[in-house]
Amino acid sequence: MAAEFAAGAGHDIIYNGSSILTRLYYKNLVDLTDVADAAAKKYGGWIPAAKSLVEVEGRWYGLPIFYILAPMLYRKDLFDANNLKYPDTWELARVAARTLKPKGHPTGIALSQCNDANLFWRSMFWSFGGTEATPSGDAPTIDSKELREFLKFAKAIFEEGMTPEVFSWDDASDNRFLASGVGSWIHDAISAFLTTKDTNPKVFEHTYVLDEAAGPGGLKLNVGEPNVWAIWKFSKNAAAAKDFIMAISESQKEAMTASRGYNMPFLRDQYKKPMPMLGNDSKLAALQEQDKITAFFGHPGPMSPAAQEVLTTFIIPDMFTKVARGTDIEETMKWGVGEIRRIYTKHKAA
Amino acid sequence: MSELPAAGSRRPEASLSVAVGARVGVASWWRTPTARRYLFGYSLLTPAVLYVGLLVGMPFLFSLYLALSDATVGEPIARFVGIENFISALENATFYTALRNTLVFTLGAGILKGLLGTSLAFLLVQPFKGRRVVRALIVIPFTLPIAVSVLGWKWMFDSQFSVVNWALSNLGLIGGYGSADWPVWLGQPGLALFSVMFVNVWRGFPFSAIVLLAGMTSVAPEILEAAKVDGASFMQRFRKIIVPMIAPILFVGSAFDTVFTLSDLSIVYLLTNGGPDGATEILPTLAYNTGIRAGALGRGAAISLFLFPLLLPAIIILLRTLRRRQY
Repeated sequence: MAAEFAAGAGHDIIYNGSSILTRLYYKNLVDLTDVADAAAKKYGGWIPAAKSLVEVEGRWYGLPIFYILAPMLYRKDLFDANNLKYPDTWELARVAARTLKPKGHPTGIALSQCNDANLFWRSMFWSFGGTEATPSGDAPTIDSKELREFLKFAKAIFEEGMTPEVFSWDDASDNRFLASGVGSWIHDAISAFLTTKDTNPKVFEHTYVLDEAAGPGGLKLNVGEPNVWAIWKFSKNAAAAKDFIMAISESQKEAMTASRGYNMPFLRDQYKKPMPMLGNDSKLAALQEQDKITAFFGHPGPMSPAAQEVLTTFIIPDMFTKVARGTDIEETMKWGVGEIRRIYTKHKAA
Repeated sequence: MSELPAAGSRRPEASLSVAVGARVGVASWWRTPTARRYLFGYSLLTPAVLYVGLLVGMPFLFSLYLALSDATVGEPIARFVGIENFISALENATFYTALRNTLVFTLGAGILKGLLGTSLAFLLVQPFKGRRVVRALIVIPFTLPIAVSVLGWKWMFDSQFSVVNWALSNLGLIGGYGSADWPVWLGQPGLALFSVMFVNVWRGFPFSAIVLLAGMTSVAPEILEAAKVDGASFMQRFRKIIVPMIAPILFVGSAFDTVFTLSDLSIVYLLTNGGPDGATEILPTLAYNTGIRAGALGRGAAISLFLFPLLLPAIIILLRTLRRRQY
């Protein structure tokens, strides 16, 4: 993308997955507010989290196409056999991990420098009432009592329910961990559910899904992995590109079917029940209201360049890794808050 | 007898004759064999100079320009910020971890590649059946696409399915999966750095061996035979004859290897992406994540330029030693 921008030539349409760069490039992207408004009018509006990805000064410079959700996937047979309540709160998830680890079924969430670590620990942290930045995205809000409380919880859930494996995990390790029959529960995209279905039907039979676990105050927030399309200003086919993106946006039902329920839509009407692949599967039906609990990096602020840098330098998961490895919570806070403040200050100065 | 010109008077014909004479002299110099030799030499050198200038000099100057500006990937007009980006890198705690890891990675891998490459070269220089086939096979790690070979190692270092761990476990050398002594190769800080170094060594030591082998085959066997007859031990022959004779090749090989190792992004990026908690973070990954993925080109360029003062003295020492030996 940087090379095409520097050359002023290349594709008409660009695609961002996970790292959404519309705020970095918006001066060089076609204003898609008209397309976004037309889609909103036709499909009942956008889900609340959509605009944080692409809106700059009231204009939309990209069109959110789909996001990947990450629910709780748990082994119902293991929970039932040990009289455990299903993990619809993080505290219950911790109790289950603590009970099942000694029986050979630990849990795991990546504590490495991979995308999963960036996504899932944020889901937990935000469900504890934590936030990453102010609603305007101008300043970090990480130096909070919520984060200190959550760091204690993160340390406890790691020590009681996980193994050091999680320090080496990549984005597919937890899929294999669940499919192997070892994992008691994981927090992951439904690719893990689908992989288990394809590779280990016996484990799959006992694998169930919850939309998300709630924090101590009952708050549920699921950090999705967003995907956005945009058009370069230098494109010679901007009109056709707009039509194409609109057509893709309108085809999310087909996309959900083709992706086996993996690609979640951004337009409200596309949540009409039964949703393709989710509505007709009793295990996945709970995911049809995911639009209400989805948030993205930088929450509750937009996905700003500063939030983007915090994301790509893995500061937040590294903070959790530090406490899991035994670093003092205040020392970890000092490091993490210092790094994040430095990044926000640099971006503000620029 | 001609009269001397008055002071201050001008003799245009005299100046003209000097100028014409000089021009004739220059013109005739261009026709001399020396001039033609120079011209021919420089013509042959020009493509190399252009190549180095355009493909090395220009990008270097451009990265210097970026490092002194607040350039981002989406902002075409950058502002001059002096050394602010370098100061910012020095204020970043992760930078020091990356710097330390880069030095450990480069020195550790360099020493291991040197030792293993030398041993392998000595083995390959001996006559044995199938030597040509073995010599061809030995370069496979170096010739395989890096993404393919590193992904293979990623599987071998997998926390759950590592073939290394399962083999060690079945041999009774470590406990079973889930036990305390089950190594998590890419998850324990020391082991993770060792693992990325190991893959770099695995990939690079055949290159060291081939370079040394090329040097060794240029040492006349008679010299070594004569030294043997004079009672020189293996180490004496290696230290006093082979190393001095192949020194130019050794120096150039070492220079290449240092540059390649110091700037190696792929292995760390594919195996650990710098994790866990920066345990394998090196300057190239930090520069990439800051400059390209986060879009802060200026700060990314400044981080990557910290490689330059690390590389420059090493290369200068190597090249100066090489030049002295040539004289």
